[in-house]
Amino acid sequence: MSSWLDYTINGLIVGNVYALVAVGLALIFGVSRLINFAQGSIYLVGAYIGWVAVVQLHTPLPLTIIVVAVAAALVGLIIERFGLRPLQNSVRIAPLLATIGISFVLDQLVMLTFSPNPRALPSQLPDVRFQVGGGTIGPLDLLIAGVGITSALLLFVFLRYSKLGWAVRATAQDRDAAMQMGVDVNRVNQAVFGIAAALGGVSGLLVGMYYNQIDTAMSLQATLKGVVAEVVGGAGNVPGAVIGSLLLGLVESYGVAVFGTSYRNLFAFLLLVVVLVLRPNGLFASARQAPPEPLTGTFIAPSRPVRIPRWALLVAVGVFAVLPLLPVSFYVLQTLINAWLLGMLALSLTLVAGTIGQVSLGHAALLAIGAYTSALLSLTFAVPVGLAIIAGGLMSAALGTALISPSFRLRGHYVSIATLAIGEIVSLVILNWESVTRGPIGISGIPPLSLFGYELISPTSIYWFSFAVMVVLALLQARLLSSHLGRSFRAIRDDDVAARAYGLSLNRYKSLAFIFGGFAAGVSGGIAAHLYSYINHETFNTQQSILALTVVILGGLGNVVGAIVGAVALVGLPEVFRIAAEYRILIYGIVLLLLVRFRPQGLLGTI
Amino acid sequence: MTNASPEPLLALSNINTFYGQAQVHFDLSINVARGHIVCLLGGNASGKSTTMKIILGLVKPRSGEVTFDGASLIGLTTPQIVRRGIASVPEARRLFADMSVRENILMGAFVRNDREAIAQDLDKMLTLFPKLGQRLSQRAGSLSGGEQQMVAMARALMSRPRMIVMDEPTMGLSPLYVDRVLELIRTINQEGVSVFMVEQNASLALEIAHEAYVLQTGKIVLSGSARALKDDPRVRDAYLGGAEAA
Repeated sequence: MSSWLDYTINGLIVGNVYALVAVGLALIFGVSRLINFAQGSIYLVGAYIGWVAVVQLHTPLPLTIIVVAVAAALVGLIIERFGLRPLQNSVRIAPLLATIGISFVLDQLVMLTFSPNPRALPSQLPDVRFQVGGGTIGPLDLLIAGVGITSALLLFVFLRYSKLGWAVRATAQDRDAAMQMGVDVNRVNQAVFGIAAALGGVSGLLVGMYYNQIDTAMSLQATLKGVVAEVVGGAGNVPGAVIGSLLLGLVESYGVAVFGTSYRNLFAFLLLVVVLVLRPNGLFASARQAPPEPLTGTFIAPSRPVRIPRWALLVAVGVFAVLPLLPVSFYVLQTLINAWLLGMLALSLTLVAGTIGQVSLGHAALLAIGAYTSALLSLTFAVPVGLAIIAGGLMSAALGTALISPSFRLRGHYVSIATLAIGEIVSLVILNWESVTRGPIGISGIPPLSLFGYELISPTSIYWFSFAVMVVLALLQARLLSSHLGRSFRAIRDDDVAARAYGLSLNRYKSLAFIFGGFAAGVSGGIAAHLYSYINHETFNTQQSILALTVVILGGLGNVVGAIVGAVALVGLPEVFRIAAEYRILIYGIVLLLLVRFRPQGLLGTI
Repeated sequence: MTNASPEPLLALSNINTFYGQAQVHFDLSINVARGHIVCLLGGNASGKSTTMKIILGLVKPRSGEVTFDGASLIGLTTPQIVRRGIASVPEARRLFADMSVRENILMGAFVRNDREAIAQDLDKMLTLFPKLGQRLSQRAGSLSGGEQQMVAMARALMSRPRMIVMDEPTMGLSPLYVDRVLELIRTINQEGVSVFMVEQNASLALEIAHEAYVLQTGKIVLSGSARALKDDPRVRDAYLGGAEAA
């Protein structure tokens, strides 16, 4: 039985590891007002480079650390130079999306190189533990603490006494003024990305050694934890990030002590949401610092949407409606069913992210709520499937809106962080609320789709059903967008201050958008549940949220037809070209990067 | 060869600038002679601050030429332009609020590498701006507006510029500080630094300037020596209180 002192030591050590990630995020945010969602991928790369060094090259520990730091710094420099610098003059959402794309590409490259199976990363230190007070401490704990403290000191000296360090601080405080002093902000960005990546890489190595194991799922977790710690400490605040990390480590460690391991992340995200709601500028920010987001609508690329004539839309709907009557394979129908389900999710996200400007990164949670509601209602209470799906949509609308409502007062990046956290919380609640959701076992034997007592088993009938539902949702949404309400949504997206000054209640309109969007996503999740017949807490994961976002950006933010075209393209094209499943995420990442760089308004343009 | 009109230090010629669809400058031409104080007057939204940004390379004009000491500045980045010898006192001062006063002043010498001369120049700034001596380790953000203006001017001088561009140096200052700032601009100028300043307060600016330009909705409507402009009824009407003052 571990003592409280053990949990404290563990919390501080894990906090140290988080700090290495979070400090990098804070430096980058300070200088470029960007939350680097690729930070966890660099951490992953660091862990695997460490594995190569230790297991294959048998490097001694100090050399391992240096190799990892240098290699990770190189990756950071490459990301800055080729991924982000070309986007300097584009809209604010572009670099954010680019870092998401980069993280997909890096994670997949690591996975393809090393396989997704976990690998053991030996710690290179003797496995002894010393008694300290009522707890124990080992050499690796001391190493991690030592690396953490040394990095903090080096960083302090760098920022306080070196010329480049001054340039970093000046740029963080006033980019334009720094340029007018002759500071080359590109070099500052480079320096910051290099340092952040080196710290992140070493962090990955140390975590691998601490848990004796590395796998590719580490990446997203690290990004999330780093972001939590950074936001808790105050975005861009370097000492704040360290304290936020230690706090996060302790909260998690004590949470695990009281409730068990599966609750670890729940505490992290609850801490984040509480801080975002109560003190969105972090625990240590002075009140005068407003969240550094643009006041006017520069977050999303403005563009003229591509006009598609009505007859062409009618022809397209007609063609897809009669498709099952033509001699097409079940395989094609199956693919298109997936596209229609993704299309519904994309309709929801394009409304929320595009029309009203709340870029949600946790949209899969709405699928999960709809799916679980529909599955449980039909299984436990024998509710007819058709009704259960509608109930799933309503539940997603209500619960999703209620969950997201605390973040209505946030803007820009902060909305993305909050939705990401809420998405994770939903998944973790599903995992832990065993009496209702059956926990990690998941729900099996979900009844198949049926309508008015007729079971929809054949691919043709499922195809028609999902296509019809999607078309109805799309028509409703198009009607909504052309109404007064749609105009109000766009006004809030383009300038929420001005919109408020004209008497629009932000909370009311954001709620309406999430209610409508939540319904569409919940229906999609409900249909999926009855189609798959088995779901668990990982069926609707962050990857789906990001896939939906890629679809929406591909089609053009806010664009109803674009969302569907994007879904067909992203689901269909990999099938057409027979791209193996493990390369798909890589392709999605590359598509996202290319779009952000060359056509940020998407194929059909933002509306 | 003619020495009738020596080549100006800074010359903007036929500048046309756009923000999206909206045109900000129409064929703007301004010269700053070596050793002179030149003032650009104009009301709100006349394009004054944008002119500053063009000189500093923060905004790119759609057409036209900017030369400094005979060489074009078009296409150079802001840091490159600063290295050519142009320092700036930005609008609202734009100090690095969380850095100390000393760090702020020394940031002005960012383009220099001669440590000892920088230290000497810092001492020189403290004789020029004696009040800053006791404030050196204070956060710049905690100073009063007038003190911040002193820091911003000291910061600009630390790069040993040949020209300083100032955006509304007297804005928001108490009358006492306004006089002090104008006096300092004159002192700086007497040491050989050319000054280009953008001002709304015409009467003050015309007191210290050699030449002045009047900008109205992106067009130069008047220009000439400061003395002549001060007596020009059109300037008086527009900026100096007009009829009732006369």
